[in-house]
Amino acid sequence: MTAADSILPVATGKQVISHARKVMASHRRELAVVIALYTAATVAGLMPPRLLGAIVTDVQHSAPASHIDVLAIAIAIALLAQSVLIRYGALAGARLGEAVLARFREDFIDGVLGLPLSTVERAGSGDLMARSSRDVNALSLTARQCVPALLTAGLTVILTIAAIAADSPVLVLPCLIVVPPIWAVARWYLRRAPAAYLRESASWGVLTDSLAETVEGARTVEALRLASARRGRADADIASSYAAERYTLRLRTFFLPAAEASYVLPLAGVLAFGGVAYLHGWCTLGQVTAAALYARALVAPMDALVQWLNYLQTGMAALARLLGLAHIPADREPSAVSPGDDRLSAAAVSHAYVAGRDVLRQVSLTVEPGERVAIVGPSGAGKSTLGRLLAGIQRPDSGEVTVGGVALTELPLDDLRGYIALVTQEHHIFQGSVRDNVTLGVPEASDEAVRSALAAVDALGWALELPDGLDTAVGSGGSTLSAPQAQQVALARLVLADPHTLVLDEATSLLDPRSARRLEQSLSAVLDGRTVVAIAHRLHTAHDADRVIVMEHGRITEAGPHRDLVATDGPYAALWRSWHGDAPNRPKENNPQAPVHDGVDNSSSNAACGG
Amino acid sequence: MRQLPVPDPGTPDLASAHRFVLWLMRKQRGSVLLGIIWGCAWMIAQALVPAAIGSAIDALTRHQATAFTWDCLAVLGLGVLTALTGVLRHRMVVSNFLDAAFRIIQLVTEHAARLGNTLAKLLSTGEVVSVGTADVDAVGGAIDVTGRGSGAVAAVIVVAVILLSRSLVLGLIVLIGGPAMTALVGSLLRPLHQRQQRYRDLQGQLATRAADIVAGLRVLRGIGGEPAFSRRYFDQSQELRRTGVVVARTESYLFGAQVLLPGMFVTAATWIAAHYALHRVITPGQLVTFYAYASFLAVPLATLTEAADAIVRGLVAAGRVVAILRLRPEITDPAEPAEAPAAGSVLHDPVSGLTVRAGELVGLAAADPAEAAELADRIGGYRAEAEPELGGIPLHRLPVDVVRSRVLVATNDAHLFAGRFDEQLAAGRPAAGQLTSSDQVLAAVRAAAADDVLDAVGLDGELAARGRTLSGGQAQRVRLARALLAEPEILVLVEPTSAVDAHTEAAIARQLRSARPGVATVVVSNSPLLLDQADWVAYLRDGTVTATGTHRDLIASDASYASTVTREGGP
Repeated sequence: MTAADSILPVATGKQVISHARKVMASHRRELAVVIALYTAATVAGLMPPRLLGAIVTDVQHSAPASHIDVLAIAIAIALLAQSVLIRYGALAGARLGEAVLARFREDFIDGVLGLPLSTVERAGSGDLMARSSRDVNALSLTARQCVPALLTAGLTVILTIAAIAADSPVLVLPCLIVVPPIWAVARWYLRRAPAAYLRESASWGVLTDSLAETVEGARTVEALRLASARRGRADADIASSYAAERYTLRLRTFFLPAAEASYVLPLAGVLAFGGVAYLHGWCTLGQVTAAALYARALVAPMDALVQWLNYLQTGMAALARLLGLAHIPADREPSAVSPGDDRLSAAAVSHAYVAGRDVLRQVSLTVEPGERVAIVGPSGAGKSTLGRLLAGIQRPDSGEVTVGGVALTELPLDDLRGYIALVTQEHHIFQGSVRDNVTLGVPEASDEAVRSALAAVDALGWALELPDGLDTAVGSGGSTLSAPQAQQVALARLVLADPHTLVLDEATSLLDPRSARRLEQSLSAVLDGRTVVAIAHRLHTAHDADRVIVMEHGRITEAGPHRDLVATDGPYAALWRSWHGDAPNRPKENNPQAPVHDGVDNSSSNAACGG
Repeated sequence: MRQLPVPDPGTPDLASAHRFVLWLMRKQRGSVLLGIIWGCAWMIAQALVPAAIGSAIDALTRHQATAFTWDCLAVLGLGVLTALTGVLRHRMVVSNFLDAAFRIIQLVTEHAARLGNTLAKLLSTGEVVSVGTADVDAVGGAIDVTGRGSGAVAAVIVVAVILLSRSLVLGLIVLIGGPAMTALVGSLLRPLHQRQQRYRDLQGQLATRAADIVAGLRVLRGIGGEPAFSRRYFDQSQELRRTGVVVARTESYLFGAQVLLPGMFVTAATWIAAHYALHRVITPGQLVTFYAYASFLAVPLATLTEAADAIVRGLVAAGRVVAILRLRPEITDPAEPAEAPAAGSVLHDPVSGLTVRAGELVGLAAADPAEAAELADRIGGYRAEAEPELGGIPLHRLPVDVVRSRVLVATNDAHLFAGRFDEQLAAGRPAAGQLTSSDQVLAAVRAAAADDVLDAVGLDGELAARGRTLSGGQAQRVRLARALLAEPEILVLVEPTSAVDAHTEAAIARQLRSARPGVATVVVSNSPLLLDQADWVAYLRDGTVTATGTHRDLIASDASYASTVTREGGP
C-alpha cells in the first residue's frame, strides 16, 4: 500500500453501523414495506410443495379427479400470488436501495469536495480515485443485488424450515441437525474468505498493472533492452497471483464439498425420518413428499446466503472507506476579522512533515504589495513548503503567516482565494464547457469577463475556433485540449479569480520546452499588476524579480535584488555566472580541455554558416 | 496442481480467434478433458436425485422398507458424489482458466517487449486497446465453461432418458416445455438488457464525473467552484437513481415472470401427471419425479445459455488478443546484418552533419527544440528511413538489438517501472544478470543529483509504477541515473534537466562528464548551465548543424544561438 493510504482515514466498524442505522431509520417505513412484501412472497412460494404433497396423498387414496383439479388450481393461484408479490417486493426494494445508494455516493462526493486543503495537497489522488470508483461500485453491487439476495435467501431458509415444522414437526429435526456443522464451516470460510479474495484481486491488480506497464513503456523496454526483465517480472507476478489463487482454491476445496454435503443431509434425513414415520403410520405420504421437496428447496437459498455474505463483507469494507472522509478534522478556523491591507508576511515560521525533521526553520519574510520575489535554492531546501505556507494551504507548526495582519488559516476559504492563489503548472480540464472551466471560482462571471480573461492569456483565438466556441464540451468525453492550451485555461481561471497575490511554483515546470515561450507570455499577462512570490527553477525568473531569496536547508541564506547578490559574489552569483556564461570567477577545473576539433564533418554537410 | 507459470508459453496459432482459443486448450488437453469428465459426473449426479426421491416414495407406497433404505442411501450417496465431483471439477477448471489467462499474459508481455517503439506509437494513436483483466477473464472464462457446459448437455440427456422411459407423453411435455420456457424467459431479458445498458452507461458517466472531480481536486480546492460540482454530481446521481428504478421496474416484472411462467408450466405438467397417476399410468413416486424434473431442467438449460454467452465473449476477447499478437515491429533486423563496428566508433548523421566521437560531451542546442528531438530519435535508429552511420555502417544494416545496446536515447517520457529502487535503476545494465554493486548505483544517483529520492525511497525501497509517488523533477533525475547506469557507448539525453531547479541543474551539469568517462554523450538542451559544461556545442537550425564551438564562443559569435539559449529574445 502506498503512503497515501495512511493519510485518508477509514471509518471504524462502529461508525459504519451507526451510520447505516441512521440511514435505515430515515427510511423506516419503506424498509418495513419491503420486508413485508418479501415475507409474503416467500410464504406464497412455500404453498406448492405442500399442495403437491396433498395431490400425492389423493393419488395414493384414489381421490376424485375434481379434488386433484382443485389442488392444481390452488397451486396456480399460489404461484400467481407469489409472482405478483415478488414483483412489488423487488420494485420497492430497488427503490429503497437506489435511494440509499445515491445518498451514500452524494455524501461521499460532498466529503471529497470539503476535504481540507492540506489533506488534498498531501494525499495525492490515488487513494481517493480508488474510493470513488472501486468502493462506490462495490457498494452499488451490495445495495442493488447483495442485500436483496441476502434478504430473500435468509427469509426463505427460515420460512422453509417453519413450513416443514408446520407440515410435520418431527421432520424439522433432520433439518436442524445440520445447522451446527454448516454454521461452523461457513464461519470458518467467511473468516478467511474476504482477506483471501482481497489478496487475490490485489495480485491480479499487480499482474495486469505490470502488463499495462510493459505495454505503455514498450519504447523504454526496447531502449533499455528490458524484454527479459519484463518477462521475469510477469512470471514473478503470475507466480504470486497463482499462489493467491491456490489459497482461495484451497479454502473452497474444503468449504464447497462440506457445504454441499450439508445441503444434502437435510434431504436424506427428512426422507429417511419421514419414511420411517410413514411406515409407522405417524404421517401421510403427502407430508413426507412435501417435507422432502422443502428440504431440497433449502439448497439454493443456503448456497446464496454464504456467497452473498462474502460480498456483504466486501461492501461493508468499501462503505468504511467511503465514510472515512467524514472523520477528517477541519484545518481552518475562520474568524470574522478582515485583512487590513495586502501585505503578506511570514514571521519565524517552522514546519516539519515528520516530527523532528524540520523542513523550514524560523523563516521570516515580508512581501510588499506589488513586489516580485523569487525564491531559489537546491531541491529539498524548503522552497515549496514555504510556498504552501505563504498560500495558506498549510498551517505552520510554529510562527505565523498573515495577510494584512490576519492569519491565513483564520480566513474563510472563499476569502483566502480572493487574496492569494497558489499557481502550479499542474492543470486539469474538467468535464464541461470551456466557459465552465474558466469560471470555476467565479460562476457568475459575464461572457465579456470570460472573453477578456481568455484574451489576456492569448487563448481567445483558439477557443473561439473550437466547434462550439466557448460552449464546446471539453475534458473527458469532450474535445481534447493540448497541454499548452490546458495550461492557458488554468491561467485564464486565475485572471478571472483576480487574487492580489500569486504564489507561483515552477516545481512541476513546463516539461515541454517547445511550448514554453508562448506560455511564458500568457503567464506574464497573469502576473501583471499582482504581488508575486515565485519559487523559481529558471534563473531568468530570478533575474526579473525585485528581490531574490536564496534558501538552503530550510533557511534563507541570501536575500536582496539580483544585482546586489551578483555583486556580493556569493553562491547565487556563481550560479548566475555559470548560467549566463560570464567568464570571470568560473572555476577552471570544470573545463579540462578545450575541444580541438570542430565537431562537424564538413565533407557531408553545408553547416557552419553561423559560426 | 500443476506448476504455473509455464517456462515457455509456446507459439500460438494466430490464424483466427477460435484457432487461438483451441490452441490454448490443446496446450492443456488432458486437464480440459478431465474438467469435462468431472463436469459431466457432477451434473449427472444432480440429475439423478429426483429419480431417487421418486423411487423412495414408491418404495414407501409399497411398504418396501429395504428398497426404501437403499433409495435413501442413494439420495445421500448422490449428494456426496455431487459434492466430490463438484469440487474436483471446480479445481480442474480453475487451473485451466489460470493456465490460459497466465499464458496470454506471458504472450502479450513478450510480444509487447518485441514490438517496443512500434507499440508505443500505436498506443499513442489509440489503435491498440491494451489487453487488461477483462479480455484475459473472458478468454479464460470460455475455457472454464467447457466443464459445466458439457455437464449440462449430459444432464439434459440423462433427464430425457429417464422421463421418456417412464412416460413418452409426459416426457415429451417436459422436454419440449422446459426449453420453451427457458427461451421465453430469455426473450423477456432482451428489453431488460437494453435498460441495464443505459444504467451502466449512466453509472460509467457518473464514475467519470467523480474521477474528474478527484483528478482536478487540487485545482478545484485551490480556486473554488465546489458548490457547482456538488450540484452537477447530485443531478447526475439522481438521474442514475431514477434510471435504476426504471430498470428495477422492468426487472421486477421479469422476476415475477421467472417464477410465474416456469411455475405455471410445472403446475400444468404436474396436473396432467397427477391424472396419469390417478389412472395408475405412473406411480405417485414418478409423479414427484416429474414435478421435480420440470423445475430441475431449468438449471442445465440456464448453464447452456451461460456457456453460449461465455464462448461468444471469449472469442471476441481472443480476437483482440490475436490482433495485438499479430502486430509486427516497424523496424526489423536486416536480412544480412553487417558486422558490428568496433567499440568507440564515430556516430555520424549525414542529414544534419552531426558527428559524435567517443570521450566527448556534446551539447546539442536548437532554434526549434522539436527538431533536436527528431534528430535524437534519428541517431538512435528509431526512424526506418534515416541513415545515420556508426563507424561508417548505416544503422539500418545492424541488428536492432545491437543499435539499442550501443546508442541509448533517454527521453523524458521514458517509463519508470514499479520495483525495487536499485534493481530498477540497474535495469538497463549491459549484461543482464551482471551484478551491480551498490557503489555503482550510488555513484549514478549522485551524478544525477537524485540523492533526495534515494533518501526518501531507500536502495531496497519500492518505486511506484510510472514514478507516481515522485515529483516531476525527482522522476527526471531517476531516469537520468538509470540512463547513466546503463553505460551505453553513446548516450543521448533529451532535455535531461527540464524539470529541475537551477541549483540542481548546475550540479548535474558539473557531474555529467566524470560520470561518462571515455564514452560519448549528447545533451539535447537549450540550457546554458548544461551547454557550458559540454566539450563543444552543435547549434541546430532548419535541420542542419549551422554552428559549432564551445558555449562561450558561440554566445559571443552567433547572435541566434545567444538569443536561443539565454532567452533574451523572449519575455
